[in-house]
Amino acid sequence: MASQYMLPHVQQPPSFHSTASQPRQHQWSPYTENGGVILGIAGKDYVIIAGDTRSSEGYSINTRTARKIFDVGSGIVLGVVGMSADGEELARKVARRIDDYKRNHDKHITVNAAAVMLSRILYAKRFFPYYCQPLLGGLDEDGVGAIYTYDYVGSFEREASRAFGAAASLITPFLDNQINLKNQFVPGTNGDEPRKPGDLPMDRVEKIVKDAFTSAVERHIEVGDGLQLVRVTRPPPREAMEDEEEVDEREKTAGGGVLTEVMSELKKD
Amino acid sequence: MTSIGTGYDLSNSVFSPDGRNFQVEYAQKAVENGPTTIGLRCKDGVILACEKLITSKLLVPGSNKRISTVDRHIGIATSGLIPDGKHFINRARDEAISWRRNFKDSVPIASLADRMGSYAQAYTLYSSVRPFGVTAIVAGADNDGPGLYMIEPSGLYWGYFGAATGKGRQAAKSEIEKLNLSELTLLQGIKEAARIIYVAHDDNKDKEFEIEMTWVTKDAKTANAAVTGSRGMIWNGWVHEEVPKELLEEAAREAKKAVEEEDEEDDDAKGEEKMDEDL
Amino acid sequence: MNQFPHGWGRPRDDVYGAYDSSYLNSTEPVSHTQRPIVTGTSVLGVKFNGGVIIAADNIASYGSLARYDNVERLLQVGTHTVVGAGGDISDMQYLHLLLDNLLIKEQYPADDHALLAPQVHTYISRVLYQRRNKFDPLWNSILTAGADPKTSEPFLSYVDLRGTTYTAPALATGYGAHLAVPILRRHVPDEEACASLSQEDAEKLVEECMKVLWYRDARSGVKYSWAVVTKDGVTTGNNKIENQSWKFAEMIKGYGAQNV
Repeated sequence: MASQYMLPHVQQPPSFHSTASQPRQHQWSPYTENGGVILGIAGKDYVIIAGDTRSSEGYSINTRTARKIFDVGSGIVLGVVGMSADGEELARKVARRIDDYKRNHDKHITVNAAAVMLSRILYAKRFFPYYCQPLLGGLDEDGVGAIYTYDYVGSFEREASRAFGAAASLITPFLDNQINLKNQFVPGTNGDEPRKPGDLPMDRVEKIVKDAFTSAVERHIEVGDGLQLVRVTRPPPREAMEDEEEVDEREKTAGGGVLTEVMSELKKD
Repeated sequence: MTSIGTGYDLSNSVFSPDGRNFQVEYAQKAVENGPTTIGLRCKDGVILACEKLITSKLLVPGSNKRISTVDRHIGIATSGLIPDGKHFINRARDEAISWRRNFKDSVPIASLADRMGSYAQAYTLYSSVRPFGVTAIVAGADNDGPGLYMIEPSGLYWGYFGAATGKGRQAAKSEIEKLNLSELTLLQGIKEAARIIYVAHDDNKDKEFEIEMTWVTKDAKTANAAVTGSRGMIWNGWVHEEVPKELLEEAAREAKKAVEEEDEEDDDAKGEEKMDEDL
Repeated sequence: MNQFPHGWGRPRDDVYGAYDSSYLNSTEPVSHTQRPIVTGTSVLGVKFNGGVIIAADNIASYGSLARYDNVERLLQVGTHTVVGAGGDISDMQYLHLLLDNLLIKEQYPADDHALLAPQVHTYISRVLYQRRNKFDPLWNSILTAGADPKTSEPFLSYVDLRGTTYTAPALATGYGAHLAVPILRRHVPDEEACASLSQEDAEKLVEECMKVLWYRDARSGVKYSWAVVTKDGVTTGNNKIENQSWKFAEMIKGYGAQNV
């Protein structure tokens, strides 16, 4: 049914041919597309989800400071790209359901359970889907980084890295090469021995993420302005946390992981 | 009440042979024991005041309001059963909103009183319901100026210059009758209202009480800020709000003093009489 | 017809031909069709140091006809909020009724609590998003402007008929998003720039933008309303575009009376 509605990127300029004799037809579309790109990478004990902060409609930049990554509670992050109104609604709904879970069961939801829940939420709107691609991240029960990726209606799988949104096609091959080490070979083997993708340290991944965005900004008009980067990491061991309040706060708010957000600039042209 | 026990008092919608609806009369009894509540229609607005007995020291001062805002320009005070009053107020609020939806205008006080009168009356007709155990005093102002109505459990309502209901209504009414309400201003009125509540208060039975008092005013200086932010909306410029704290406290202080002095004079007079007798 | 706010009421079919939507035709029956009838054009808003200013002209158009010339499109909601609406005027009036009822209900408890701009904006955005979910949109794009009575923090946000919301130092709906926003952004590129913009300069800036819109937006009017919200509350006023110069029109073929 989604295809029945007009999406903005297929909009055409008004026709200069006189079509006055034909009956006028106009179907309003409940959908729009706000551009932007998000990216998630899972490491052995961390997750990074990042997104640009530009929100646009057609050729207009609506704002340069829109966040696409949301803290939905219990140490879980949700990135959404597509139609921002649907994305924000989805984030509110997920946050609410994660909160409900905690109140009902007196424990934090696991990221894999939350992943299934998100799938159900999306499928519940199978015939009027949320027009956004969600990317859910957190640490699983073993403390290992997990990224779950979805299509509009709830198909999902766990992946190591994924880019969604306007410049996904630009970033994906870059991630293939830099994260999954595709087409890279062990030096001195004359291209016989492929490099094996392994556990990249988080600071290295953050650099890759930033490079991915700065490159996407150069080549895609809907990407730019600012970078919102959210890390989910394991909490420091309890004895290392001297501050009693900090311990309390973590018990209350965080599930498997601790969230930190870093904002930085991207080109604004 | 000679017909009590004849069976005609068990159901609404059944008259007694001498033409009475006992359920309604019992409902009125519920009000007669309610808190003294008065309304004064002044020259430049309307005042509602209520004697609120402090039934427990655990109650937060100023809580359990008996006077409610129904629309920006209307307030209703109820005396009698509190839950019945709440339901009555909710209905009045719905009526006020429905009126503005239909007519893009603030509901006139007479119209609201009429609708609420009909609503109360409908609860006297059916065996499945009981009448409201409240008397409601409706205060507001519209294009015709200030308006004051009192609706009884039977559905009967009249417009008044001054109205009183509840336990101390007799004393209050005789005090109100002494006022020249068509000349009285709101600022004078709040003092009279406070005094009347004190006069009607029964010292012997009840001890502590507080006065709850609201008015309907057009004075921009006191008018509730949140309401005055409604320029451009459906609003006739009148505001129902609590009487400013300082004014109410001053009025209560003066009222208390006046009543105490009167009591002393009475005592003195009695004392003099006694001396005369002695002589 | 164009579903973007800036397309409302134009282009004129008799000049450019009807909007060709044949490529959109689906085999399924159309269940809901709606379009704005009487429309208002742009609304502008800019945050400045200690407050926010919002402006909208007083024209309500019926297609290309300037049908009404004294329409108030700014509504004060409570003590520290002003809502400005572009798009369908009847939908705007319906929204005013909802806001009116919202305020009255807020009044019932007789406490000190008051609705401020963020709450009003969220309320409107929920209404618009829910209506779009019902395929029965309120055809508006709306700016909510306000200031916090305690902190003076200015608030400015946008919501449209799909429930799309965003906030920025300067915002404009409709044609203003194309003509005014570039000018506004030159002065207030970010929040820091707002903090060093005086109220007086903000007023001048809006005046300038309204003038540009009057020159270039054929659905705009010469009279407009403005409102400033600071921690002290709302001040409103009306303005008229002065010192006009249409000299440039002589140079442009098809703009004025020409014999060529």
